[in-house]
Amino acid sequence: MVPPVTRDAELINGLYNVILIFAIATFVLVEALLIYSVIKFRRRSADEMPQQIHGNRGLELAWTIIPAIVIAVIFGLSVDTMSRMTARGTLSNPVAHVHAINDVEARRRVERAQPVDLVIEVVGRQWVWQYKYPGGDGVTTNEELVVPANKNIRLDMTAADVIHAWWMPEFGPMIYVNPGELSYVWFNVPPGDYIGQCNVYCGVAHARMISRVKALPQAEYDEWYAKQAAASSAATRPGDPKVGMEIFMNGPCIACHYIEGTKAQGRVAPRELTRFASYLTIAELDGFDNNAENLAKWLRDPQAIKPGTAMPNLNLKAQEIADLVAYLQTLK
Amino acid sequence: MKLAIAEAIATERDMASISIPIPLRDRARTGLLGWLATVDHKKIGVMYMMVAFSFFVIAGVLALLIRLQLAAPNMQVVDPQTYNQIFTMHGTVMIFLFTIPMLVGGFGNYLLPLMIGARDVAFPRLNAFSFWITLGAGLVMFGGFLFGARSDAAWTAYIPYSSKTFSPTIGMDIWLLGLILLGIGSTLGAVNFLVTLYSMRAPGMTAWRIPMFGWAMGTTAGMVLLATPVLTAALIMLVADRNFNTQFFTTNRVQLWQHMFWFYSHPAVYIMILPAMGIISEVIPVFARKPLFGLRAVVISTILIGLLGFTTWVHHMFVSGVDPTIERFFMFTTMVIAVPTGVKMFNWLATLWGGSLNLKTPLLMCLGFLATFVIGGISGVMQGSIPVDQYVHNSYWVVAHFHYVLFGGSVFGIFAGLYFWVPKITGRMFDEKLGKLHFWTMMIGFNVTFFPMHFLGLLGMPRRIATYDAGRGWEAGNLIATIGAFLLAFSVLIFIINCIKLRNGERAGNDPWEGNTLEWSTTSPPPEYNFREIPVVESDRPLFDARMRTPSA
Repeated sequence: MVPPVTRDAELINGLYNVILIFAIATFVLVEALLIYSVIKFRRRSADEMPQQIHGNRGLELAWTIIPAIVIAVIFGLSVDTMSRMTARGTLSNPVAHVHAINDVEARRRVERAQPVDLVIEVVGRQWVWQYKYPGGDGVTTNEELVVPANKNIRLDMTAADVIHAWWMPEFGPMIYVNPGELSYVWFNVPPGDYIGQCNVYCGVAHARMISRVKALPQAEYDEWYAKQAAASSAATRPGDPKVGMEIFMNGPCIACHYIEGTKAQGRVAPRELTRFASYLTIAELDGFDNNAENLAKWLRDPQAIKPGTAMPNLNLKAQEIADLVAYLQTLK
Repeated sequence: MKLAIAEAIATERDMASISIPIPLRDRARTGLLGWLATVDHKKIGVMYMMVAFSFFVIAGVLALLIRLQLAAPNMQVVDPQTYNQIFTMHGTVMIFLFTIPMLVGGFGNYLLPLMIGARDVAFPRLNAFSFWITLGAGLVMFGGFLFGARSDAAWTAYIPYSSKTFSPTIGMDIWLLGLILLGIGSTLGAVNFLVTLYSMRAPGMTAWRIPMFGWAMGTTAGMVLLATPVLTAALIMLVADRNFNTQFFTTNRVQLWQHMFWFYSHPAVYIMILPAMGIISEVIPVFARKPLFGLRAVVISTILIGLLGFTTWVHHMFVSGVDPTIERFFMFTTMVIAVPTGVKMFNWLATLWGGSLNLKTPLLMCLGFLATFVIGGISGVMQGSIPVDQYVHNSYWVVAHFHYVLFGGSVFGIFAGLYFWVPKITGRMFDEKLGKLHFWTMMIGFNVTFFPMHFLGLLGMPRRIATYDAGRGWEAGNLIATIGAFLLAFSVLIFIINCIKLRNGERAGNDPWEGNTLEWSTTSPPPEYNFREIPVVESDRPLFDARMRTPSA
């Protein structure tokens, strides 16, 4: 397994290693018997006739009862691990998966499950994870979740379209994120960059539905958050095509868009962007000319401009939009 | 031909038998029409095998495309859309058009009546109908593929991805219709087998004298009969949701589909493995010259696996959002099923122990089954543990697990059966050298392909991804797996060559392996009526006992 960074991941890892001992023992026993038999009991003459043994009650009872005991032990260990994970209020907690978003009582149980420092709302959609921070600052991120390290974080997750699953291997357990329901994940991780990806097949760009977590020390996190809060309202500098390209290539855009000679190999969008700047219109909308102003409008909320388009509202910040516009206008 | 009949009479004379008139049916047709219009269980069985094997080759080619695409990071052998269609078809075809038709339709049809001393199945015309509807269903599915209407919802077709909103094309409907047709075919086949097994056994064949393969097929048929209608119902509901605006799945929790789907598809795993277990339970005793160790325990384990198989489906849904109390119950049943499976494992090993092992290809394939299936069984218990499953679920670990069960188990079992019985079916022997080469390339290729996938899963690689970025530690494992896949494909090529060479193969005679069961008492290939006179059965190894009575033969 990847090195665990949460207590839950450690619990799973520990259980896995214990079961692995039983597994290897069984494997070695069976293969050894098999290889020994093949060598020892090879037919040596055409007419040899071995003793005709039809069975042996004692032996048969033994290899029914001993495996049953081993299985009982593994079952017991698994239940024990589950209960210890429950104590931390994670996935196997009865409140971990709430059936209806508006179930007030269920939400209370989630609140009671364990104290948290930060609750972030997560929406999984084809093919991006979107994170919405609490407070009225309008801070949102796509794909990368930035959190303070060594704090209890809870994600309240739902899906906008089909089933997705949020899985960071280093954090241990995963859970499905279902449309119309809420799933929860609690975690508390040391500083670092973590990567995972959607783990339920969700369509053409399933492989590009990456989730990243950046855990920063509290001071750095506060700094990051303040910058985000400011940037979400207004751009602080003119658009930079280089930054824009980085946003494009490292974000969810490449899941759907195609730009020749780059990592963007998505084929969901009807037109490729290789020579985007030479198109007359944006999104093939008559009268919606391809210029910086319209492009910024489009990126801010595509659904408002062309309802039903496959492109979701990515909650981009003003600065990101400026950078992306600058980049896209270089594609001639 | 005359010689063959004389030979048959000679063998049959060694055993007690009774005369039952051969039914007068219009069975003399030869040539193409003889195949198209046949109701003979043997011809139908052979057609099932040919069709299933063709689908195996097709789905195998799809698997090679999958492995090519994943050989290195960010490969673009096919675009992601096509990749998704390919893995959807690979899974669907391997399960529904290869493994089940091969084992149940092919081996079941050909062998069941012969083994129990019957002239045919109970309902020969229904049998032919089952075959043609299965072939039709396969053509429907691939028909969609050829005309650009292709499903990409994976073989599990989870709601809501498979709903009209997210899978708007007609490819999804064609896939559903194909599966509905297949369900009808296999349900009818199951009825047929159960009636045959119940009412058409040769005189003297009491319950404990039914060959192990018969028990396996009976249990399998029971499972098909109970499980398939649930899937068929779910498929029809989904077709209705998609086309007639019913709201079965849209107004319920997304887990409804998963429950109905896995209520069939988990038993389906046992539908695919029990007949293969039946095959090796027939082959191992013959090549060890010993009776199956603990026949009754193996029979009871088989039936227990069949029953328990219906109580474990939620283990596919441990992270779907099911109440954890219920999950614990299903974790328990999932692990319990390892006990009867272990009993069978040890009984096979005990059958080998102290035997006189004739290491021909059929036995080698059985040894391959035992050596690899045990890994799939063990990893099954491991991921049956909920905390472990929360980590490995949907990762490449799971891909490794079910290939160890379905390839390491079912496919090795199928090849054991083919090497064992094709001489009976064709009257010709396989080339033993090529057979051994086939076994070793397959054994090595299989493990090189699938063992690394355990590690890929543990390193966090999800299944069903069309590509991946470098830098996550997945490069080496994927490259090795791809190399293994080509070795595996090469081994199947060797088998095909061996089949072509059958034409000039050595003549098999009635009983090339010194078999135990009734099919070896008749000619190879058997006449249309199977037995001139119906044998009277006095033990669970009638031919072994007959041989012991006449040591000169």
